[in-house]
Amino acid sequence: MRTRGSFQNDVATTDGAGVKFRRDMRQTVFSLIPVGMLLLILVVLSAVVPYFLSINNFVSILMQCAPLGLMAIGMTVVFITGGMDMSVPSLMSFSAVIGAIFMRSGGSPVLACVIMILVALAGGCLNGFAVAYLRMIPFVVTLSTMAVFSGASIWVTNGMSVTGIPRGFITTVMHDIWIFPAPVLVLVVFAIVVHLFMTRSLYGRWLYAVGINIRAAHVSRVPTQKVLFGSYVFSGLAAGLAAIVTTAWLGTAGGTIGAESVVLDVMSSAILGGVSIYGGAGTALGAFVGSIFVKLISNTLNFLQASYYMTLVVKGIVVVAFVALDARFRRR
Amino acid sequence: MTAPYLKMVAIRKSFPGVKALKGVSFEAYPGEALAMIGANGAGKSTLMNILGGVIQADEGEIELGGQKTPIHSPAEATQLGISFVHQELALLPTMSILDNMLITSFPSRNGFIDYGRGEVLCREALAKVGYEFNLHTQVRDLSPGNQQIIEIARTLLGKSRIVIFDEPTSSLTSREKEQLFTIIRFMKSEGTTIIYITHLLDEIFTICERAVILRNGEKVAQSMVSDLTRDEIVEKMIGSQEVVGYFQHHVRTMGPVLLSVENLHREGYLDRINFSIHRGEVVGLWGLLGSGRTELFRAMTGLDAITGGKILIDMGHGLHPIKPRSAKLPVGLVTEDRRTDGLLLPMSIRNNLSLANLRNFISRLPPFIARKREEAAAREYVQKMNIKSTSIEQRVWSLATDDSSAFPHG
Repeated sequence: MRTRGSFQNDVATTDGAGVKFRRDMRQTVFSLIPVGMLLLILVVLSAVVPYFLSINNFVSILMQCAPLGLMAIGMTVVFITGGMDMSVPSLMSFSAVIGAIFMRSGGSPVLACVIMILVALAGGCLNGFAVAYLRMIPFVVTLSTMAVFSGASIWVTNGMSVTGIPRGFITTVMHDIWIFPAPVLVLVVFAIVVHLFMTRSLYGRWLYAVGINIRAAHVSRVPTQKVLFGSYVFSGLAAGLAAIVTTAWLGTAGGTIGAESVVLDVMSSAILGGVSIYGGAGTALGAFVGSIFVKLISNTLNFLQASYYMTLVVKGIVVVAFVALDARFRRR
Repeated sequence: MTAPYLKMVAIRKSFPGVKALKGVSFEAYPGEALAMIGANGAGKSTLMNILGGVIQADEGEIELGGQKTPIHSPAEATQLGISFVHQELALLPTMSILDNMLITSFPSRNGFIDYGRGEVLCREALAKVGYEFNLHTQVRDLSPGNQQIIEIARTLLGKSRIVIFDEPTSSLTSREKEQLFTIIRFMKSEGTTIIYITHLLDEIFTICERAVILRNGEKVAQSMVSDLTRDEIVEKMIGSQEVVGYFQHHVRTMGPVLLSVENLHREGYLDRINFSIHRGEVVGLWGLLGSGRTELFRAMTGLDAITGGKILIDMGHGLHPIKPRSAKLPVGLVTEDRRTDGLLLPMSIRNNLSLANLRNFISRLPPFIARKREEAAAREYVQKMNIKSTSIEQRVWSLATDDSSAFPHG
């Protein structure tokens, strides 16, 4: 279930047998914990929720994962470089709002999609420029731009949802292909393409190198600034795709669709998907699986009629637990 | 001499893949300077880190003043009167001399720092070694030599019984070096045990009474310095009989100029550097720590931007100027501290070898890394360089130090 970073699964072999065994064990234990938890949740859900194992429910969970998964993949790429991008959900809502306003005033849906992507890319460039070229701390940069983007989207909408999205836009984006809504397929294809790109391409290899040791990467002639810049632009792209999907799915756009709790969900997905917040490890497919995991946790708690605040507590604890595992087992 | 103050007995320590210390024992007496000699990776720093409580030995004992004394942390070592003067100055540059000297143990009164008493203590400590500074000066405004004086005076505050000097002269001018030796002589006269780590044989003969020589984690010799000759020391360090030939000057016929640097300039770091290198030559670049050695290499290989000058290189059609950025093609670089800025430790041998030239391994469509070619190149290099490993997928952090040094960046 859990996909480990491509550089994490080459196991050292000349250590003493004991050391090797210990490291193997650590890796195995580390990768089994989330699988075990996922199985546990699935068993509980299928036992207590009627129709949980139905195809319909399966498709519906995947659809809920689409925006989350797209954003988690974007954030994973940034995490791999050793950075972080808290602004992804607010950037998503800002570009959704801009695109929605454009469509409400009669603009073409196709052009609206282009605008959403461009707005999100521009936001990513802003983050990337600040981190890569001005050498600012990613946490501070993206926390600030998070405030800027979410403030801006509430400001331009006066805090109201943007309605009047053309039906054509919604039905086209939400169009079913076989039994899956298009966004689900977009997510799956995106995850696979990004996964291949990260494990096989030059840029992908550079991403991991920068995350593991930026000084060594620099000496090895990796264009570290471009790599860092690119990772934030990429997470901008992911936010743009998520904006299109979310606008069509909800049939509306507003400042609240990128609320703080979404930041936590996106980050949880990436972390449960095996990214290391220390950089250098993680995969796109992992982030995809992580997003399913997060949605299942939310759904379970919903079904158990836990309050929204209770849900936040549980999710927060899960994230901290995973970061602790990461620190304990993976980091040297 | 009286009884030894410090005894380290049968110390063993392994790191993943490396046996750093294979049962080393030695003792040191009060009032003496003991030279700790060995090549890189011989185990000197591991041994001293164990004494300083930074890492724990797997086996073995430490005795201080005849009593078994396990040391679990640097704080404990400090309390026991063991202090370290590091090779790289371990000071906080933007804090004052006063804060830097007191930081290991601020004198306090009612829970607040007692700066009044602190100042008196610092003045006394500095006076002992014959210095006087304005204690409120920021440490970064001092010369490297004076910064080191501060570090040493700090050890006098804590009434250290053992002071470890880790290659203390690497950033000092010869006059500063003399000052350092005067201080060390003073400390010896006070009965302090000095452990002096160095590569420089001159210094051993100047300041040390006895020497311990380590090689590959084992003690190969311990004797009075006066009983040793330079050749003996070098031979024991390197463990080779051909040591004399090793240091013989080879007279080579020089080839044509391969690389020429003209007026290379980088504001604040390099001031109009000129030199040329001939084909087949090994050129030494000498300078103190901070003199610009590393900066010169970094500028030449395009890692740092330069503000003026030319680099000319002969790629087969005579000398032609190139942009420093493209010097990356024909110039390889092995960095000083490969574990921090040369290697990606959690990555495999294959990934590390190909990283600097990854562009050459890209196929056309799709533009992915050609794994087969990458593997073949990695195998070739592992064989050529004789890197001891089980496979090219082995991760670099599990290689021995001398094997991990074999990775070029070019």
